[in-house]
Amino acid sequence: MRLGMVIDLKRCMGCYGCQMSCKAENGTPPGVFFARVIKREEGTYPTMRRKLLPVLCNHCTDAPCVKACPTGASHYAENGIVDIDQDMCVGCHACMVACPYNNRYFNDERRNYFGDEGPTPYEMERSERHPVGVVMKCNFCRPRLAEGKDPACVANCPAKARIFGDLADPNSDVSVLIKDRGGYTLHPEAGTSPNVYYLPE
Amino acid sequence: MKDNRYEQLIADLRSDYRPQREWGEGRGILMVIGHFLVGVAGGTWLMASIYGVIYGLMVAYVLAALGALVHLMFLGRPERAIKMMRHVRTSWISRGFVGLTLFLIGGGIYLAITLLGLTGIWRALAVAANVMAGIGTIAIIGYMGFCYTASKAIPFWHSPLHPAIYIAFAIRGGIAALLVIGAASGQLASDWLLQMWTGVTALVTLFFALEIQGALSSGNIAAKWSVRDLLAGRLAFSFYGGTLLLGLIVPVLLLTNSASNSPVVMAILGVASVSGDFFMKLSTVKAGVYVPLFSPARRSHAS
Ligand code: SF4
Ligand code: SF4
Repeated sequence: MRLGMVIDLKRCMGCYGCQMSCKAENGTPPGVFFARVIKREEGTYPTMRRKLLPVLCNHCTDAPCVKACPTGASHYAENGIVDIDQDMCVGCHACMVACPYNNRYFNDERRNYFGDEGPTPYEMERSERHPVGVVMKCNFCRPRLAEGKDPACVANCPAKARIFGDLADPNSDVSVLIKDRGGYTLHPEAGTSPNVYYLPE
Repeated sequence: MKDNRYEQLIADLRSDYRPQREWGEGRGILMVIGHFLVGVAGGTWLMASIYGVIYGLMVAYVLAALGALVHLMFLGRPERAIKMMRHVRTSWISRGFVGLTLFLIGGGIYLAITLLGLTGIWRALAVAANVMAGIGTIAIIGYMGFCYTASKAIPFWHSPLHPAIYIAFAIRGGIAALLVIGAASGQLASDWLLQMWTGVTALVTLFFALEIQGALSSGNIAAKWSVRDLLAGRLAFSFYGGTLLLGLIVPVLLLTNSASNSPVVMAILGVASVSGDFFMKLSTVKAGVYVPLFSPARRSHAS
C-alpha cells in the first residue's frame, strides 16, 4: 500500500477548512500549519485571477528529507508515510533545507496563542505532541488512520476537494482520478516522487 | 522576529522568489561558521602534515574543536552530536560528523604523543592515530560541498562544481593558515607555498566562474536569482567586499608587492584570504534559492 492524496483544484474554494481542521487535530503552535492554503493573485486588471494552492507534506517516495537526516529521525513509516521520530531529532534543520516544498517546521520555543495569559487547557494537552527543539510536519494524521479515519483535512473539506487512498491500487479513487483528470505533482523534476497529486482547475 | 519567521514563510511561499533561510540566517549562521572552521581545520591539517609544521597541526586541531563547539551550539544540546552519526548511509552531515569525530580523536592522540615526546610503543599508536586523523581530514574537507549539492531543489547549490569549490577552499584556507603561522613564528613563507596559494586561488576562481556561468545558462529561474543575489542583490556587499576585495584583491596586491615576502605581509595575506573564504561560504549559502512553489512543472502521472 502507498498512501497518497489527490487535491482537486477545481473544487477547492480556498475556505481554509483543511488548514483549520489540521490545526485543531494536531494542536500545532501559532504560525505552524501542516496543511496550508496558499493564495496569490496573478495577472493584471481586468484579467486577474486568484490562484489557490493547498499544500501539505507530499510524503515523497524518494524523500530528500529522509536522505539528508543524519539521525534517522525522518523515516518512512507504514504505507509510505514520511514521519519524524521526535526522540531522535536533533534539530539540525538538514531536512528543512532538503525539502523542496518548505513543508517542515522547527519548534524553537513554546509559544501560546494568547501570549501572557498562558496556554489554554487545549493547548496544554496538544502541545505535549510537539517538543521544543525538534522539527515537525504532517504525518497524514497517523493516529486517525489507525482508528480507520481519513486525515483531518480530508474529512473536513466541505468541497470534498481532498481525496485520500492507496496509490498502489490502480482501481482506487485516487488512482482513477489521477489517470482520468491528468493529475500532476509539484516539482517532479526534483526527483522526490511526491504522493500528493493535484487535479487541474 | 520569532513570529516574523512565519510571516516570512507565507510571503516566500506566495512569491516566486523563495530563498532558503534555515542555514545562514538567525541561529543558522552558526552552521556556516561551523562549516567554515572545520573546513579550514581540515585544510590546515593537510598542509601542515605535508610541510611537517607541528604548530600548523595544533592550530588545525584547535580550529576543528572550535568548529565542533559551534556545531554543538547550533544543535543546542551536546548529547545530540552522537545521534548525528547514525545515518552515514545516506546523509552527508552524518558522514561529516563521523569524519570530525575521527579527526578529533585521532588528531588529539597524535598531538598528545608527539608533544609529550613519547617513544617506543607510543610511536606506533601515534602512527595509527595520525592515519585516523588523516581519514577524518579527508572526510571533513570533502563532505561539506556535498551537504549543499544534495539539495536538488536549490539549483545554484546543485552543481557538481560545488563540492570541488569547497575542497579547494579548504586547501586555500590551510595554505593561508600556514602563512599566518609562518609569519607568527618568524619564518618566511616558502615560494612553493605562495605558488600553491596562487594556483589554488586561480582554481577556486575558475570553478566559481564556471558555477556562475552554469547557473546563468541553465535556464533555471531560481539559479539566476541566486546569481543576482550574489552579484547585484542582497548579498552583493558581502560578496564584493568580503569575498572579492578581502579574499582576492587584497592578497593579490600583497603578492605582487615587492615586500611580499615579509612576515607581516604574509600574515595579512593569510588573514585576508581566510576572511574572504568565510564571506564566500556565507554568501553562497545564503544565495541558495528554491525553485518557485507556484507555476509547478506539470507532468501527468498514471499511478
Ligand atoms: S514534502 Fe518535504 S517533508 Fe514531505 S516527504 Fe517530501 S521532502 Fe520530505
Ligand atoms: S532536524 Fe531532525 S528530522 Fe530534520 S534532519 Fe535534523 S535530525 Fe533529522
